[in-house]
Amino acid sequence: MGNRKSHGMMQEFWRNARALPGNVWRSTIRHGPLDTDLDRAEVMNQNFFLHILPVSVHRNTLRFSYSLGLGAIAFILFLILIGTGIILMFYYVPAVDQAYPRMKDLEFVVSNGKLLRNLHRWAAHGMVAVVFLHMCRVFYTGSFRPPREFNWVVGVVLFFLTLGLSFTGYLLPWDQLAFWAITVGTNIVAYLPGVGKQLRFLLLGGNEVGQEALIRFYVLHIAILPVLALIVLGVHFWRIRKDGGLSRPEEAESPLVSMTATPASRDPAGGSLQIFPADPRKTYGLMELVKGRTPMVDRGPEDTLTAWPHLVFRLFTLSLLTLVIFLIVSLFFDAPLKELANPNFPENPAKAPWYFLGLQELVSYSAFMGGVFIPTLTVVALMLIPYIDRGPAGTGVWFHSRRARKIALLSAILTTAVIWLLLFANMRTGGVRRFYPDSPQWLIDLLNPGTLTVLYLVVFFFIAGYLTDSLREASIGLFTGFLIGFTLFTVIGVFLRGPNWEFYWFWQSWPAP
Amino acid sequence: MNRRHFLSKLGWTSFWTAVVGMVAGLARSMYPNVLYEPSRKYKVGYPADFARDVVTPLPGEKLFIYNDSKQGFYAISGICTHLGCVVSKTQEGFFCPCHGSRFDHSGKVKAGPAPRPLPWYRVSLALDGQLVVDAGEEVKPGTTLPI
Ligand code: FES
Repeated sequence: MGNRKSHGMMQEFWRNARALPGNVWRSTIRHGPLDTDLDRAEVMNQNFFLHILPVSVHRNTLRFSYSLGLGAIAFILFLILIGTGIILMFYYVPAVDQAYPRMKDLEFVVSNGKLLRNLHRWAAHGMVAVVFLHMCRVFYTGSFRPPREFNWVVGVVLFFLTLGLSFTGYLLPWDQLAFWAITVGTNIVAYLPGVGKQLRFLLLGGNEVGQEALIRFYVLHIAILPVLALIVLGVHFWRIRKDGGLSRPEEAESPLVSMTATPASRDPAGGSLQIFPADPRKTYGLMELVKGRTPMVDRGPEDTLTAWPHLVFRLFTLSLLTLVIFLIVSLFFDAPLKELANPNFPENPAKAPWYFLGLQELVSYSAFMGGVFIPTLTVVALMLIPYIDRGPAGTGVWFHSRRARKIALLSAILTTAVIWLLLFANMRTGGVRRFYPDSPQWLIDLLNPGTLTVLYLVVFFFIAGYLTDSLREASIGLFTGFLIGFTLFTVIGVFLRGPNWEFYWFWQSWPAP
Repeated sequence: MNRRHFLSKLGWTSFWTAVVGMVAGLARSMYPNVLYEPSRKYKVGYPADFARDVVTPLPGEKLFIYNDSKQGFYAISGICTHLGCVVSKTQEGFFCPCHGSRFDHSGKVKAGPAPRPLPWYRVSLALDGQLVVDAGEEVKPGTTLPI
């Protein structure tokens, strides 16, 4: 008996040993080739990483010309940043006497260290740009409309977290750029009414930019802000799923539902088609619980495709392309590194990274307006957009209407003209202090190209709204104005400001120092 | 409000009080009590070291020391009141390279975005006869140390 049993045991052992590779494979991968739609649907639920994606997606979501893939690219860049950032942490030491030599080590001593740093820096620049463009895409396609209002707010928070991550990263090399960017940046913070001085003290861990400041920015950069960003990013993705995927035009959703949402004039028979009215509570849509839509008889499955392979393939292609592009850029262009920080002599001109140069241009007219008031106003205005502009028309379509396009164009031209005009008026006359040397500070804060541009934008918004009688079109005008203004001030800051923050055309060379 | 609601409110209130209290307590540790920064009181040298009616820049301390034959000694800060760049001395006064602020000899703003004049600091004599500038103590422009 015992003999037989052990014989059976041995057999079983060998059988299992032979089947080991196959069993390990099956237990980890858990599926064979995905040949049927059922397999393709199942894989999205079985795989932890794919689980973030829906099982099936609407055709409109897959249209590249609709989303431009910007959100995905931003996320891919974030992953690249985490990866390169972690490796950089092995070499970086957040001490004032070590930080800069460590940069040089990365450049000359560590294998591929230069590539690593380049990749990290350029991906950071890329992320700021892509997140911003993503925000523009969402705005111009009206994708912040209910039920997606809150996710827009989350997105705005993510944009500022991205900026915070870049800014804190800038200090770490402890070069001239770093030192003076932080000096100027924390002094802007000090202009916040009431708490500014204390906040600056808290950020710097003292009164001066030094060791304490370096370690604080380091911890913010590698722990606090990335973790915050990850959490908020999780909420952002979660909300996309819960709000029913990417936005799309009403018509693409379901003819039945759209009849109920649009006036009867569009289809006189509309009322009789309300078999499945939009339900304000939750129901099934695209194979998952989302708010506000009922199942679509027949139409639904026609307009959706399985996420595997359609969405997954696109995401992988996008990742590969992003990675390759940034790798090539990093191979050919080196991340900037100035001389070692010198607290006694600022560079001339002392410029922040490009995405802050629009702000720096505004700050060069008035620190309070450019550094505190206008940015705060911008944040508040951005966050309020979805709560002010709520009408359903135009959701999921670029630019809403032909007239909206015209208004956007008009706003772009007008804003450009106004900014140049104000800029040259300011330069020609020398500003308020030239006419009125003892003018109080509030007059200078008020009468400068930055503040006046904002004033112009507000006036434009209300006039456009009054003339078109359309909130959406007016806000498209306003947003376009903001976009152009931001871009223009950035271009001026990056290219047209030379030593002493004086104005130089592209073709004028700077005087020798 | 019935008993159950009251107890639930009480529970939540104590929970959040505990959380907020703890976070506030921990956050307090971020506010330094001791600064390892160099003192901002500088001994800058003997009065005789400073030539009459000449402005002596001290780049390390970011100060400008005046020895005025009529009024005496005074010190003006070299840190721009706009956003903290270091100003340089010019014919007309001071100039900040960061955003082009200009100041006259007494530190008054002449042009640019600087919101306040350059501060004057307290100048005194140490026991050993050297001049001491306290960059932590601002004085009204025009306050000098007569010699
Ligand atoms: S810091 Fe001096 S002008 Fe801005």
